[in-house]
Amino acid sequence: MSARRDLDYFQLLKESRQAPGADRPENKKIRVAVLGDCATQHLSVLLRVLFSRHGLEAHVYEGAFDAAEGEACNPQSGLYKHDPEVVIVLSSVQALRDKFYQRTASAADFRDEALSRLAGVWDAIRAHSQATILQTTLVAPFERFFGQYDRQVAASLSTIVSDVNAAIVSEARRRNLLLVDLEEVASWVGRRSWFDERLWAIAKLPTAMEHLPLVAQGIVDVTLATKGRAVKCVVLDLDNTLWGGVVGDDGPHGIKIAAHGDGEAFHRFQSFLKELKNRGILLAVCSKNEHENAVRPFEVNSEMVLKLEDITVFVANWENKPENIRKIREALNIGLDSMLFLDDNPFERAAVRTLLPDVMVPELPEDPADYVKALVELNLFETTAFSAEDAERSTLYRQEAQRRIAETSAASFEDYLQSLDMTIQMGRFAPEQLGRITQLLQRSNQFNLTTQRHNQAQCEAMMNDVEGCLPLTASLRDRFGDHGLISIVVVRPDRAADAAVISDWLMSCRVLTRGVEEYLMNHVVEQARQWGLATVTASYIPTAKNAMVKDFYARFDFRKTVEHADGRIDWALPVAEYTPRSVFIRADEER
Amino acid sequence: MDEAIQQRLTAIFRTVFDEPDLQLRRAMTAHDVPAWDSLSHITLIVAVEREFRVRFTTAEVAALMNVGDLADQISKKLS
Repeated sequence: MSARRDLDYFQLLKESRQAPGADRPENKKIRVAVLGDCATQHLSVLLRVLFSRHGLEAHVYEGAFDAAEGEACNPQSGLYKHDPEVVIVLSSVQALRDKFYQRTASAADFRDEALSRLAGVWDAIRAHSQATILQTTLVAPFERFFGQYDRQVAASLSTIVSDVNAAIVSEARRRNLLLVDLEEVASWVGRRSWFDERLWAIAKLPTAMEHLPLVAQGIVDVTLATKGRAVKCVVLDLDNTLWGGVVGDDGPHGIKIAAHGDGEAFHRFQSFLKELKNRGILLAVCSKNEHENAVRPFEVNSEMVLKLEDITVFVANWENKPENIRKIREALNIGLDSMLFLDDNPFERAAVRTLLPDVMVPELPEDPADYVKALVELNLFETTAFSAEDAERSTLYRQEAQRRIAETSAASFEDYLQSLDMTIQMGRFAPEQLGRITQLLQRSNQFNLTTQRHNQAQCEAMMNDVEGCLPLTASLRDRFGDHGLISIVVVRPDRAADAAVISDWLMSCRVLTRGVEEYLMNHVVEQARQWGLATVTASYIPTAKNAMVKDFYARFDFRKTVEHADGRIDWALPVAEYTPRSVFIRADEER
Repeated sequence: MDEAIQQRLTAIFRTVFDEPDLQLRRAMTAHDVPAWDSLSHITLIVAVEREFRVRFTTAEVAALMNVGDLADQISKKLS
């Protein structure tokens, strides 16, 4: 059986027969390509099913068997004709092993050769396409020639494989490849059952059939992360979830949370959550409790790993949880589908699942000692980047709460904005910003006019297109702290049309109503004027989430020029008619 | 063909080859079932192994491309 109940191979096979996509015409399409040195046919069936579970209709191109180099290096190949958004380079350890056995050079030369072939594939894909590259890691081989001494021998197969993996990982960092970490997946399952030597011999299947869904799910998880799927906030129950016992009955010191003994499982769970918080996932509390009782352990029980400042929004009352989760969502301004709800009580889980179907609600095991294991197995915390902003996110959202307090104490909203002492730094995309830029492009759903999910290679291309493209970032700072890079606007001069064309405009919702948009629009129109262009044109492309900016351009006196059948609206503004908006933001001179 | 085995085998064939009305005959081979190709054969074998909790050797997997032989192998392994 598969390690995950929702990933049973035969269940997935049945699901695949229900013509994925056909019954859901609203499904978006995604074009992926798999270049494998093993058989990929069974895998591509699974990819289609698993993508369709997430509302994506996958068009999968399978490269010829063990021909990644040929496909990648030939600009006329089927790979590029397919024009994939994502290319998966699937490297199996069995293929490497079989080549290792036939080596004529030294093991070290063999290793370097294998690596340079992989690098050649990555380089070629980068040269001929803007696809995101997913590279699998190699599963550790089971063959041992020196017993437990194997890894001390530089030329053994297991050492070669671990060298290649180390190089794949460091190259992935350097070249912005994304890893599908099959080594990790296989060791979790257990390599004894992972490998099926018969199926490799007969059909070149890279794993036992029952585990193939995990390979596909790994690919799907990473791909969805590139498309913006992410858990941004974990909403936590308290009693018997975050600690053992009931704080209302047991008191703030009576609950089970000590690092040793009966509180250890909860202590460890809190430590895990604290690491998630440190990596930029917000923590919120949603508890049926008296507020006073609920906050006490955070304040007075020194065994608690999580402190009040780790919790971005704290809701404890006797109202129903779906309603409270809605309130948390509003306070944070994030989508329900980026929220994860953890509660030991099946009744509460069912209530949230029913009333807020977009919120992720995993089953929690009965034993709190298994909480972390169960969550990790579901692989819910996928991401494609990690930046300084992530580590600071929790602080930023807490600062936001302080700003709201300042807001209520200021006499007028203008006074309030004035008091924030805001500065903006603007400029073309810069190399060191590309990670954050790509991330913002992927994460922004609501304040996003055209929702173009450019990947890093595409952003880099825009950055380097000095003549044809002005890709701008804006970073905001105020007296409470640094917001970092919060907005992206891409403008292109179109001489033929005598217009400056805004192709992308998006902003983090954290900084709504500060005047950032006004500041940027002043800048864009001024830029158009300097280019000597008569108009600024732009589009709004509707998605399920960006209704809030439907009339964004109308605010700036743009006029509708075309309303397309698919909902897209084109806008235009004569440069001469624009009156610069007044703002309370200064240009940041210091940075 | 053992009736119990045939029943369970029929269910597997119907699922794997997506033919809800498929009737098994001893003499049936891959030629008689349009969806029975080398790819789906692997799926078939793995499904049979799972259903009957048996394991075929590499040589058996390659050879078992007709229903009678498959059923015989299963009952041999079960006995």
